[in-house]
Amino acid sequence: MGNHRQILLKNIDHPDQHTVAGYESRGGYSVIKKAMGLDPLAVLEEVKKSGLRGRGGAGFGTGQKWSFIPRNSGKPIYIVQNADESGPGTFKDRLLLERDPHLVIEGQLICAWAVQSNFSVIYIRGEYGYPYIRIQRAIDEAYAKGYLGENIFGSGFTHHMIVHRGAGAYICGEETALLNSLEGKKGQPRLKPPYYPAAIGLYDCPTVVNNTETLAACVAILENGGEWYAAIGTEKSTGTKLISASGHINKPGIYEIEMGYPLLQFIEEECGGIWKGRNLKGVMPGGSSFPILRADELAGVNIDYESLSKAGSHVGSGGFMVMDDHTDMVEAALNVAHFYAHESCGQCTPCREGGHWIEKIFGRISKGGGLPGDVQLVESICGQVAGHTICAFGEALAWPAQSFIRKFPEEFRGRISEAREGRVISRESMNADVGGSH
Amino acid sequence: MGTELGAQGAGAVELVNLTIDGKAAKVPKGTNLIEAAKSVGVDVPFYCYHPHLSIAGNCRMCQVRVKGAPKLDIACNTMVREGMEVSTHHTSPEVDDAQAATLEFILINHPLDCTVCDQAGHCKLQDYHFDYNARPSRFLEQKEHKVKALPLGPTVVLDGERCIMCTRCVRFCDEVTKTSELGMLNRGDRSVIAVNEGKELNNALSGTVVDLCPVGALTHRNWRFNTRIWFTKETDSICPGCSTGCNVKVAIRDQQVVQVKGRLNSAVNKEWMCDEGRYGFMRFLPQKRLASPLLGGAGTSWEMALRESKRLVGSEALVMVSPDLLLEEYDILKEFLTRHMPKARVVLAYRERTLTEVEKVLVSPDYAANFRAAEFSGLVQSVSGDAYESALKQLRAGSVSHVLLVGQRAILPEDCDAALLAGIQAVGVSVGMLTDAASGLASVLKVALPGRSILEKSGLMVNRQSRLQWSERVIDAPLGAEPEWRLLNRISKECGAALCDATNDRDLSLRILGKDTRLVGLSIADVKGSLLSLVGASKGIDLKSYQPRQRTVAADSAGSQPAV
Amino acid sequence: MSAAAAQRLTEIKKRYPHPHSAVMSALYLAQEELGVIDQRGIQWVSEQLEMAPVHVQEVATFYTMYYKQPVGAYHFQVCRTLSCALRGSKHLTEHLKKRFHIKPNEVSADGKWSYEEVECLGSCGTAPMCEINDTYFENLTPEKLEAIIQRIEKEKPELRLSTLTDSLGDGLQGQPKSEVR
Repeated sequence: MGNHRQILLKNIDHPDQHTVAGYESRGGYSVIKKAMGLDPLAVLEEVKKSGLRGRGGAGFGTGQKWSFIPRNSGKPIYIVQNADESGPGTFKDRLLLERDPHLVIEGQLICAWAVQSNFSVIYIRGEYGYPYIRIQRAIDEAYAKGYLGENIFGSGFTHHMIVHRGAGAYICGEETALLNSLEGKKGQPRLKPPYYPAAIGLYDCPTVVNNTETLAACVAILENGGEWYAAIGTEKSTGTKLISASGHINKPGIYEIEMGYPLLQFIEEECGGIWKGRNLKGVMPGGSSFPILRADELAGVNIDYESLSKAGSHVGSGGFMVMDDHTDMVEAALNVAHFYAHESCGQCTPCREGGHWIEKIFGRISKGGGLPGDVQLVESICGQVAGHTICAFGEALAWPAQSFIRKFPEEFRGRISEAREGRVISRESMNADVGGSH
Repeated sequence: MGTELGAQGAGAVELVNLTIDGKAAKVPKGTNLIEAAKSVGVDVPFYCYHPHLSIAGNCRMCQVRVKGAPKLDIACNTMVREGMEVSTHHTSPEVDDAQAATLEFILINHPLDCTVCDQAGHCKLQDYHFDYNARPSRFLEQKEHKVKALPLGPTVVLDGERCIMCTRCVRFCDEVTKTSELGMLNRGDRSVIAVNEGKELNNALSGTVVDLCPVGALTHRNWRFNTRIWFTKETDSICPGCSTGCNVKVAIRDQQVVQVKGRLNSAVNKEWMCDEGRYGFMRFLPQKRLASPLLGGAGTSWEMALRESKRLVGSEALVMVSPDLLLEEYDILKEFLTRHMPKARVVLAYRERTLTEVEKVLVSPDYAANFRAAEFSGLVQSVSGDAYESALKQLRAGSVSHVLLVGQRAILPEDCDAALLAGIQAVGVSVGMLTDAASGLASVLKVALPGRSILEKSGLMVNRQSRLQWSERVIDAPLGAEPEWRLLNRISKECGAALCDATNDRDLSLRILGKDTRLVGLSIADVKGSLLSLVGASKGIDLKSYQPRQRTVAADSAGSQPAV
Repeated sequence: MSAAAAQRLTEIKKRYPHPHSAVMSALYLAQEELGVIDQRGIQWVSEQLEMAPVHVQEVATFYTMYYKQPVGAYHFQVCRTLSCALRGSKHLTEHLKKRFHIKPNEVSADGKWSYEEVECLGSCGTAPMCEINDTYFENLTPEKLEAIIQRIEKEKPELRLSTLTDSLGDGLQGQPKSEVR
């Protein structure tokens, strides 16, 4: 695990860590006890000081988000943990939910105390059967031990926590779609304004929506102080980040790194380098919703918000997908385009129509039916989807597609011209049944 | 949601200054940019927005550039702020591009079957594509296929491929009728509007979803493939089905009603309309036209008929009055009676019924479109069903000596039973102004004069909420059929002098607007609301709050008018 | 639908501030008992939660885990998204196609098998993978998948997550339920 400080994963390999006894034996639930001795605003202040940013993808300041919650609205305040981890390349929350569920619960309780909420929900993606069982059992245990329910630690504070299973819809990771889903509606995003969750969230009440990893990180922050956390990583990217590493590497898996870690070094040292002795071609460092970076763009790039943004991508959810030099980028682009076309909620025009259009064009190019002008057409469609939709799915759909054609134009043009010239080269596609049909 | 621009109130409305394409606008706080733009004559296109439904923001057609915003905003969901600088497609190439792109997206899976689409000619896809894109599509792929010609219920049929997923129909059934028959199933570009299996879209207002559908996805089952809309004559008028006074647009071709649409009026019917009114619009026209006078059930000359009608003069006649005459006609009938039949007893045909929950959203519990106008004119005092029921009883009992029926519906169709007809036949002097030769009344009256239905004349109506509205003639009456006011005028002339020198409906309207002190300052245009073309704005005049703009010497006589 | 399911739904409803929030659980319950989400399930949920049937149907058709068409007793969901595709998920799909002689979303004649390609299941570090009913099988090759199929035929394991009993099937003996770490 290199020299990285392990904060979130420090106890992950203890076989009994998922049980309340195991968790307690390693100091579990002592931090919330301590936090509840503090004024809720003081807890919020620590989180603010830590500089923690949302780990779900957008990277919004966690303390700032909590501070938007109106405390005297006369309405209940809710917390919703976004464990709908569905973004391609991202599987870190699954690990926390399976192996250290009490950490997740304790983190959520810290948030509950800070914003004085009596009810919270963990929204977990429906496919996560085993993580669901683990977190549900952990909640049952926490109730039995009095960490949840009424009069926690004899403080008079009440907090109830439930788990809600999704049922297969990536868009429910978008926070307002998630809230709609939780209210028993289709998981379609809400308009902002007016539906900013902090003001009008679950059942129109003030709501904090935070990613699993974000909430889990709050435990160490309250244990050691916000300043301690802020000292880790870089100035604007504090703390550690779970990176879900996958693709053409020797050691795929979940790594906790300190923010600011050099990207190429991460691939070499943590991920064990590129598999089969091949070379690196490209990386999607922040999940499939952010642009791909070419190997030659990676020198000097670090894994943190500033450096990856400067390089033209994003930390995102830390879904780090590596592609070797044998990768067919037309196929990779098609694979990603299919995902977004399939997952569009269908609510607003550009995303509903644009997503499939892009997929169909990539599918056509891949099958030897590309036309001159297709690359510009995709570019133009992407430009009219990104920034024109109700939610950020528009960008998530457009940016990767755009990045594939911008970063690897010769592959797309080459495929188009070989088809035009009648010299279609037979290739093995990584995709089975995609490219225009459902 | 719905915003009444320039809404009068207790001065509570805070006004906000902004510019739209450089034009200064001043609108109430809480107004969205579509309405604000409209107020300065800038049209922002939209599909999913409706001033009386929740904001969905899904079509993305109404994008505008607000100075300082990180990206384009949708005008429907952006409220005015002080000092805001807004650019629409007129001044922002970026907005222009976004709207063109939106249209291209909307149309990639659309079948482009305008040649066989009922919506062609009044379709916002056609209109907007012409205005905001007008370029060939770059889409070369296979289109998605969806349900075609699927009846959703007794009134509405769905073409899934034409649907643009604006969800206006879904929101209408959720928010207005609260019947929730419709939903949007699936997701992504497989999305489709549907009813739950075994359920139907079947509520009292169901046809409204066709009006709300901006494209040809929802069409009327019984008007499908009826006509190309451009071969029809469309008229803005008022539905005479009840006293709600829904604003409607009626399309006529070859003297047939071929389509009726609700028309936006925030103060009256929003844009809704009931199925009974819409699909039953023809019921206000006679089955068999009475086009010349009858005497004892047989044809006669106008001279003979009018001379015979004079026998009513001075009598203590029972005057039964139809509830769907024009305000002008009630007014002139009052003058007629004052002058020639001062002892007459006037009864307006009026009966209430029980409404279902959905009907209560819109429908009034009567079939008496203009009873408020009869009250306003002073012809009758506060109308109730009692006077009508007791008059029917007297007629059935044969205890009436003179009777005058003004309008076909002076006796409601359901009351024309054998006993009543026999009772009328027994009346010594009976005169009626009718439209339908097939109704039993025509043969039992001593004199039957050919009148016009409410659809065949233009004038003023007052709805249940005392809103003065303009009812425009939607269909031409055949030669010989005279509006009731003119029949009264002719009888009066026969008695010595005409009541007025009006030669057409319009003269008569101007006459009452000129002479009634409560209406002083109003023109026909004011009442029509044609000068207030704002989306979501109210048309018509609320008589309860209208302050006559000037006092005239005739003000003294106002005291004799009953308050509305 | 059984009384037990109604009872369970009543419990679930109580957890939420608003009963409509239980619609997803209710649909899971219906699917568990009926094997599919059809009109019977829609009506049951609609009545239990006092929701318009069409709005229940909207929810049922929005999410991929509610089956509007029957699936096999063992439903294989091969992840096809990027990380799995990069590591050969296509070969898993092709194996299933040949093995069961069916197309995606068809059910084998004996009702036992069906498969489909699904989007990212959050198992990218252990790609390629396949979820069978509600249980993950990771780090697969066609050979490993075949071995699993053969064991399933023989051992008939329970691989489903039950909303009724709030439990996950025992799975195959000795097979880890997660290989995420």
